[in-house]
Amino acid sequence: MASKLLASTLRQTLTKATAYSVTRQFSTAAAVSVAAAAPAPDSYEDPNGIIMKGVKIAGRPLYLDMQATTPVDPRVLDAMLPFFLSRYGNPHSRTHLFGWESDLAVENARSQISDLIGASPKEIIFTSGATESNNISIKGVMHFYKDKKRHVITTQTEHKCVLDSCRHLQQEGFEITYLPVGSDGIVDLKELRAAIRPDTGLISIMAVNNEIGVIQPMEEIGEICKEFKIPFHTDAAQALGKIPVDVEKWNVSLMSLSGHKIYGPKGVGALYLRRRPRIRVEPLINGGGQERGLRSGTLPTPLIVGFGSACEIAKKEMDYDHKRIMALQDRLLNGIREKIDGVVINGSVERRYAGNLNLSFAYVEGESLLMGLKEVAVSSGSACTSASLEPSYVLRALGVDEDMAHTSIRFGIGRFSTEAEIDRAVELTVKQVVKLREMSPLYEMFFFLLSLLTEKEGVNVWPGFPCLVTPEAYDWENNNFHLFDRVEADAASAFIALWLEKYNLSSQSQYEDVQQLKWNGDKQMVASVRNEVCKRLLIFALSEEAYLFHRRRIAESSHK
Amino acid sequence: MASPSRTELLGLYRSLLLTARECCDYNVREYAKRRTSDGFRQNRNLTDPDSIASVYREGKNQLAVAKRQAMVYSLYAPKVKSIMELDAAITTNTTN
Repeated sequence: MASKLLASTLRQTLTKATAYSVTRQFSTAAAVSVAAAAPAPDSYEDPNGIIMKGVKIAGRPLYLDMQATTPVDPRVLDAMLPFFLSRYGNPHSRTHLFGWESDLAVENARSQISDLIGASPKEIIFTSGATESNNISIKGVMHFYKDKKRHVITTQTEHKCVLDSCRHLQQEGFEITYLPVGSDGIVDLKELRAAIRPDTGLISIMAVNNEIGVIQPMEEIGEICKEFKIPFHTDAAQALGKIPVDVEKWNVSLMSLSGHKIYGPKGVGALYLRRRPRIRVEPLINGGGQERGLRSGTLPTPLIVGFGSACEIAKKEMDYDHKRIMALQDRLLNGIREKIDGVVINGSVERRYAGNLNLSFAYVEGESLLMGLKEVAVSSGSACTSASLEPSYVLRALGVDEDMAHTSIRFGIGRFSTEAEIDRAVELTVKQVVKLREMSPLYEMFFFLLSLLTEKEGVNVWPGFPCLVTPEAYDWENNNFHLFDRVEADAASAFIALWLEKYNLSSQSQYEDVQQLKWNGDKQMVASVRNEVCKRLLIFALSEEAYLFHRRRIAESSHK
Repeated sequence: MASPSRTELLGLYRSLLLTARECCDYNVREYAKRRTSDGFRQNRNLTDPDSIASVYREGKNQLAVAKRQAMVYSLYAPKVKSIMELDAAITTNTTN
């Protein structure tokens, strides 16, 4: 009866507009109703929209930043709430029901997590997040084995907490090798083998990168580690629940897991520590000896229960989510590519997790693009590093040009993303990029060049102007022009020589490459023009000349 | 446990969709609707009464969770709606 009353009241209140001062009635078993208002709103929200940091938007933005954090799944919240309300005991209290039931819940969560990664519950310890787990893994392992092992191998694209822990170890006297990655973000296995030394104590390589979403070849790396008997640590915060994770197949000894990346609560994570063969770590946090002495402190039962339940849900929903997210990623990418060109995907296209799409837009400035995309919650660079003005170190490690690195946007698609959101994001992004490109003088010049030359392919459009390129000839991925005929290669060379003389630059050695554009008989600009300055110069010179030529022609024709 | 009848299964489907519709948060609402229909569609060819009973039981549990969470989300709904909902409201207004 009470529940029917509650349900009908709720139905009435829910169908009205959500004004914040609607009173809601709770009925207890004794049918005492208490009127309560919703918590006071923050001052930046009002019914007309949100004003924050000088930006006004009509409603809450649509969320496409799943790599930074994910919303808590309602099923997870449902599992967590009783532990905030009535089952609030400390799991380490051994003497009463509150402690016993909390402990039972924690152990249950432990087994849910270990099920997802193919481990045993005894191998999981709870921490405050993946950052703490990474710290324990790297510092703890190396401090334990510091007498014999003095070397750590990691990659340049790791998460900041791993790189910072390694830097800390370096200050203590350890040696670290930061492996470079290819332009697709995948680590080279031969280089990994070459870097291994007799005193290597740990290899740390993350499974799925948080910025570019590439999946490293975990099984192959695991085999190498097994061969050389080196402990293998991986930061699987982004991989958990999204790609199949198996500690036996990957042969990992330590794995860092995070709660808030798989639709669980923030503030909880776990560390997997292999028992056979046993990996020993020195604890970072000392205290009452909880978690086998490796991480003392009262366990946050509600958060852990949430984490466990998120893992259980992820195990059931992994296939369904993955299929859906792949379809959404295709929709996003194709939607953007249909409308604008000059879009480059950062990172490998084949070996990537579908929910992470890192795009660079040529001839667009990144900060202004982000400022215009206020209705879409996306990020550029990772949340940890977005405070500084430098482009992301991950993109720099991939070898992406500075200007392309600045314009990179990371779209994160997740379980709760809808097709309508993706379409909206495509529309807003395209609109903003087009708007910015219209304002960009560099793009204007370049666009003039291309558009004018499309009038007559391969034929001199104007007498005296060497016809150098066709629009299809611009290879955005490698930032190259394909010169389509030998004659044009010579013409380009002569053209550049004249241009350099005009600006008194022919004596400078960095432009030598350009002055000696060679023809290798393959309808392609030679690799010798790989120097970035030369490439920029060539493009700039061509576009500038084309533009000036065109303006002169317009001026001449208007004078007639 | 006896296998649930067709009316019971359809009743469960309807209740899940109705509860999903009541949810305040745009993303959760869309997810609940989508997941319900996809879930039922996936299981529509089950013939074994035990498996039907077990998925029915699971569905009932999920319905209870959904009802509770719809209530919790409504208690803490933000004052300003999501952009996606506002747009839908605007487009329906303009078409009327």
